[in-house]
Amino acid sequence: MKTLKYISAFLILVVFASCEGILEVEPRSSISDQQTIVDKGSAETAIRAVYEASRGYYGTSFQSIAYLSGDNVQWTGSQSQVQEFINHKVNPENSTIGGVWNGIYSAVNRANHIIAKVPALTDPLLTGALKNQITGEAYFIRALAYFDLARTWGGAPIITKPTLAATDNRGVAKSTQAQVYAQALADLDLAEPLLPLSTDRYRATRKTVWALKSRFYLYQKDWAKAEEFADKVIADVANYELLAPYNSFFFPESKRGTKESVFEFYYSSNETNGHRGQWQPQSNGGTRQWAPNDAFVALVNNPAIGGTRSALVAKDNQNRWFGNLYYRSPATDPTYVIRIAELYLIRAEARAQQGGAKLAAARADLDAVRNRSALEATPALTQADILLAIENERRFEFAFEAHRWFDLVRTGRAAAVLNVTDPNRLLMPIPIDQIQADKALVQNPGY
Amino acid sequence: MQKNAKIRSLHNLVFSGYLIPLGLGLLILFIPSFVSAQTPTVPLINSTLRGTVIDGRTKTTLPGAIVQLQGTTHKAFTDSEGEFNFVTGQKFPYTIIVSYIGYKTKEVVVDGSPVEVSLEESINQLGEIIVVGYGTQERKNLVGSITKVNPAETKDIPTGSFDSQLQGKVPGVQISSNTGVPGETVNIRVRGATSINADNDPLYVVDGVFINTNSLQTISTGGKASSPIADINPADIESVEVLKDANATALYGSRGANGVILITTKRGNYNQKSKISFNASQGWSKAEKLWELTTGPEHATLVNEWWVNTGNPASTVPFRPVSAGGRGRPSEQQTYDRLGQVFQTAGMQNYDLSLSGGTATTKYYIAAGYNDQESILKPITFNRGSFKVNLDQKINEKIQVGVSNTFARTGRNQARAGDGPAGGLLQAALHTPTYLSPVNELGIPVGRAGFDNVDLLLKYYDVHSTSLRYIGSLYAQANLLPNLVFRSTVGVDYNNYDESEYWNTFLISGSPNGLATSSVGQSTSLLNEQTLNYRKTLGRHGFGVLVGNTLQADISEGTSSTGRGFANNSFKQISSAAVTTGSQSWNKATLVSFFSRIDYNFSGKYLLEASLRADASSRFGSNNRWGYFPSVGGAWRIKGENFLKDVAFISDLKLKGSYGVTGNQNGIGSFASLGLWSGGSSYQDSPGIAPQQLANPDLKWERTNQYNAGVDISLFNERLNLEFNAYHKQTVNGLLRLTLPATTGFASYMSNAAEISNKGFEFNINSVNIRKSHFTWSTSLNISRNVNNIDKLETPLKYGSRDLILQQQGSPLYSFWVYNELYVDPQTGNSVYQDYNNDGRITVDDRRINGSIWPKFFGGLTNNLTYKGFDVSVFLAFQSGNKIYNHNRFFGEGGGARDAARIIFASNNARWQKPGDITNIPKPDGININNYRDGGSRWLEDGSFLKLRSLNIGYTLPKSLTHKVRIENVRLFVVGTNLFTITNYTGLDPESAASSSQNEQGIDLGTPPQPRGIQFGVNVVL
Repeated sequence: MKTLKYISAFLILVVFASCEGILEVEPRSSISDQQTIVDKGSAETAIRAVYEASRGYYGTSFQSIAYLSGDNVQWTGSQSQVQEFINHKVNPENSTIGGVWNGIYSAVNRANHIIAKVPALTDPLLTGALKNQITGEAYFIRALAYFDLARTWGGAPIITKPTLAATDNRGVAKSTQAQVYAQALADLDLAEPLLPLSTDRYRATRKTVWALKSRFYLYQKDWAKAEEFADKVIADVANYELLAPYNSFFFPESKRGTKESVFEFYYSSNETNGHRGQWQPQSNGGTRQWAPNDAFVALVNNPAIGGTRSALVAKDNQNRWFGNLYYRSPATDPTYVIRIAELYLIRAEARAQQGGAKLAAARADLDAVRNRSALEATPALTQADILLAIENERRFEFAFEAHRWFDLVRTGRAAAVLNVTDPNRLLMPIPIDQIQADKALVQNPGY
Repeated sequence: MQKNAKIRSLHNLVFSGYLIPLGLGLLILFIPSFVSAQTPTVPLINSTLRGTVIDGRTKTTLPGAIVQLQGTTHKAFTDSEGEFNFVTGQKFPYTIIVSYIGYKTKEVVVDGSPVEVSLEESINQLGEIIVVGYGTQERKNLVGSITKVNPAETKDIPTGSFDSQLQGKVPGVQISSNTGVPGETVNIRVRGATSINADNDPLYVVDGVFINTNSLQTISTGGKASSPIADINPADIESVEVLKDANATALYGSRGANGVILITTKRGNYNQKSKISFNASQGWSKAEKLWELTTGPEHATLVNEWWVNTGNPASTVPFRPVSAGGRGRPSEQQTYDRLGQVFQTAGMQNYDLSLSGGTATTKYYIAAGYNDQESILKPITFNRGSFKVNLDQKINEKIQVGVSNTFARTGRNQARAGDGPAGGLLQAALHTPTYLSPVNELGIPVGRAGFDNVDLLLKYYDVHSTSLRYIGSLYAQANLLPNLVFRSTVGVDYNNYDESEYWNTFLISGSPNGLATSSVGQSTSLLNEQTLNYRKTLGRHGFGVLVGNTLQADISEGTSSTGRGFANNSFKQISSAAVTTGSQSWNKATLVSFFSRIDYNFSGKYLLEASLRADASSRFGSNNRWGYFPSVGGAWRIKGENFLKDVAFISDLKLKGSYGVTGNQNGIGSFASLGLWSGGSSYQDSPGIAPQQLANPDLKWERTNQYNAGVDISLFNERLNLEFNAYHKQTVNGLLRLTLPATTGFASYMSNAAEISNKGFEFNINSVNIRKSHFTWSTSLNISRNVNNIDKLETPLKYGSRDLILQQQGSPLYSFWVYNELYVDPQTGNSVYQDYNNDGRITVDDRRINGSIWPKFFGGLTNNLTYKGFDVSVFLAFQSGNKIYNHNRFFGEGGGARDAARIIFASNNARWQKPGDITNIPKPDGININNYRDGGSRWLEDGSFLKLRSLNIGYTLPKSLTHKVRIENVRLFVVGTNLFTITNYTGLDPESAASSSQNEQGIDLGTPPQPRGIQFGVNVVL
């Protein structure tokens, strides 16, 4: 009987010992949040995820807010939330604005982790220069995020610390639009000295900061500074160039990271961009959820207006026009955030606004962009005409990029061009889910 | 003495509580040493008794009846002619006891040979054996609320899986989302739903194995997914018990909150001669009706009207003469039928063959089955080949071992029946405007309105899946002491799910140069379980003790690869693709449990049960790993009291009540409590890591407290049986993916934040109305009601397309969130909405909850009739008071505003056209403004229905005929399914408001209806 007792005692031990073992299951595709940004390797992987988050909201949703709310695109699908942008009647329940809002703050949180942790790392392999670069890139992405928040929603909560527990970073009231813009500028100012003066079209460098600053000052109507920073980038002729004809920066499929590009998001067959699906017709595997409208098709195909930019549209097997800027298969079309053409047009506008002697230089910048699309020099002579010509040039130059709506809003022309007479409609509503989830958030007026 | 000492020391061990755990199974190895062999006695022949056993009502003979001599263990069996031959040492006269399953046991005093014993069929509700958690009980002793279903009544309903066949059969159990695709998942809700983010599906236990019920499908079919339950052949199931109250389910602890469905498969009987049963049937089915669409000219007229109504000049209407730049006048438009192309009369066939029987020490059940069904929606098919081996072996008087094995291979041709443009078959057929030609001006087939071309889809659809399933268990059972039984079980549920799809260049998904996906998923559930069961009767006191433990592990893993860019459509293997990508997933969750139950009854009148289970789960943080689930229940059999003893018409009267706690942890991630950073956020083809979820070390079980009170009444010699139960379930610490403000950088995190209650009653009545020698008629009816309510939820949650579902505190789960439309103004033709806040505008503040998916009551009515060789069974299912959002009609009644992008339903022709028109369909205007607002209540409909779910007619050939050719039984049958539906719902089928996503119920979009079907078959028993 002793044997039996020993056996049972042994079994009991096995069972209780194994219980605890059985209950410890560790994930295989994730790691605990205690051990994330600790050395050179982890800092480098974490900064990539910051870009990935920014790319996440830029890929389709954020850009679509800007061009759908303009006057170039019509809706052909079934999701009426798309139509809301075209009709300028966006509801707080709109899923696109909800997604972009979440996406922006996700990028902010990832950037905040870098900003909070990387400067304090002591890994000897992580050089000071690399540490600065990674931190500067995080500041740049955060600046872009706050810039996008300010121009889309106006006021928004400003978050500068990483979220470590579910109680962090909630209940934060909105700052004003001016404060959010100021945060974007502060981040750009911090990023500028940290980043190297190199050229990288997929990641932020000091020149990328200049380009965004130029746009920032344009929005702020600080024409001199807008011109100054545009100058700095355009001056680097070795690295940035208006490619002709127009489609040289996106066609054929091998074209990406061209000299046209100041900053674009990177995609590959492993990191695909679903944007094409919204544009391409079914015969190219898309849904053609939206398409260039008849008026735009007529204008862009007019050799005196669109020039070689007619490459932006094409016809499918049912004689329907579709937008063809995002067309690659696998879906690797870049997201163009800043192109050199924009800096020319920013400088043109900044110069035109300053008027007087700068009008000629403004026309020269405008013509640089027109020339590469095989268009003749602009006939505009007066300041007002030149500004209008720039506005129209931007309409076609950036037809399917994130510009048209923001341009008309910042110049106060949305009422005249788009017939948006209610000034409250110039800002998007705060997503309804956010209003409900955080009592500190107040809806924008008019919604 | 030595043997006694051994037993005593074992006894001590057991009762000192040591031997609960694992490994006790090994003890069996020691048992044979203290089991003594029985000494055979030499028979002394004093008399020979011959006789026949017959059915007292029908006068047919009963083969296999047991004839036993009173006071001895000596027994004999009747042969195939119902005759027996009994040789005994006793002298006449003596008493024999004759018994037969399904008949009342009879004692007969015999004084000479031969004899004829006629047995009376027993209704015997009270003595029916009910499978309960870790044991069995007679119905009369049940304290908990358990419903037993005989699957034979429903197994011919052609849905593929047995769970969907139970619809309307079990009080308190709602089964919805049946569709016309065989073998798809259904929603089973036992006494309502208790959770928002954890599963609401009941636990399924097949012969003691906790099986996986989550679909392994990864390819999207636009909503629903293949059901793992469909791997089980309904013909192999002996009984299904649905455990509902806490007394019945608490022994399943952390997995019991949504009810437990115990499936017992068929086994042989000891001392039963071999029986071969063969079943074959063949049938056809067809959609009861299809959607009615506008013709081309009608469509064009509506679009033109919308054009003008929205302020555009009449001169530019889209349908104007081609010469004027238009698409041609409305009258010039053609009409193309696409629905007729994709719906078909579907064929089905089913074959089952089984062999069962047993010797004195071995019993066996061996079966094979094959089922092959087409869906009414081309090209979907379902087939299942299954193989079943159940064996039990008595090693000696005290030890028994056995195995259960189920093997199945389920093959499917799949197609996207649900939502989504690319590859969406039903949507392409239903939502493409009828005026659009399937070919372009060059005669080349083209997809229209964003959908694929239907001809091309039907020709090139290439989505297949194969599920290989093994469910098996091995047990050993030892009677350690006369009243003490030890049982150890090892079980496994293994599922390998292999799927592939190929989209060629003619289809949207495959454009421009082909897309192939191959994916293999595996799910393994492992179980090890030990129980010790002690049962003893001392005078009028009866009691039992059960202790046990289980160890469980659920592992799921998947590998998937995708290839794009094929040289041409002849290449389909991913290895020949230009670009290939792959992914992998892995998950594991474990559970350690200990449980115990004590029951006591006093002279069969007062019954008490108490149980406790303790579970530890790997899913939760170490702070809250263990959960404890107690229950207590009692019953009073009033019939046993003196004052009712002599009341003849009351056969039984029992009051019962229970309270207990069960838990839920299914459906949440295996690592839900951990703060995680994950890879996969790569940039520039280099790895990136990012925060994935926030930690919640306090995450714990969802707890459901349930009260149950009931009464069981049996009248008129058990011919009329009523059961009534009322319950109240309160779920606290509900697992909820709590919305976080986006400023945190996270969308949500898992927490215990919701409270949900379900209250309701269940009423069940079974009655034997007529019982004559050639004619019988019995009826059973069940009606249930469940009232669901969200008691606590901080932030409302929206689900479904266009936020149609709102979960909000104070309302039931799955409530519809709509703009209430009052009427169409006869003067303006505009829809008038309820302006709740009276601000003169219709804004989101005016969007309110209006009804839910929960019916006021639901149930089923079955009538069984037999006349001579004929038998008829009529089964009606019904529910009343639930709402359905007819999302197909929302699209179909868009008033022309969607122009060439969507179909228009014929019902839209009745729209308002001129002042004075009285109609409920407003004039055509824009989309999601005014008259055609997303979430308008106009498309919210009453989902009440009464359905003739099945009509079963059989004819059994006379035994006198079949016995001549040595065939035991031949039955010919015909089954009609869904022969009619009475409903006000304007969609095709009020039951097909389906989605695989738990919180999006009640929205009818892209669901093929359940078909009307007929089957012919034969059942032969040798």
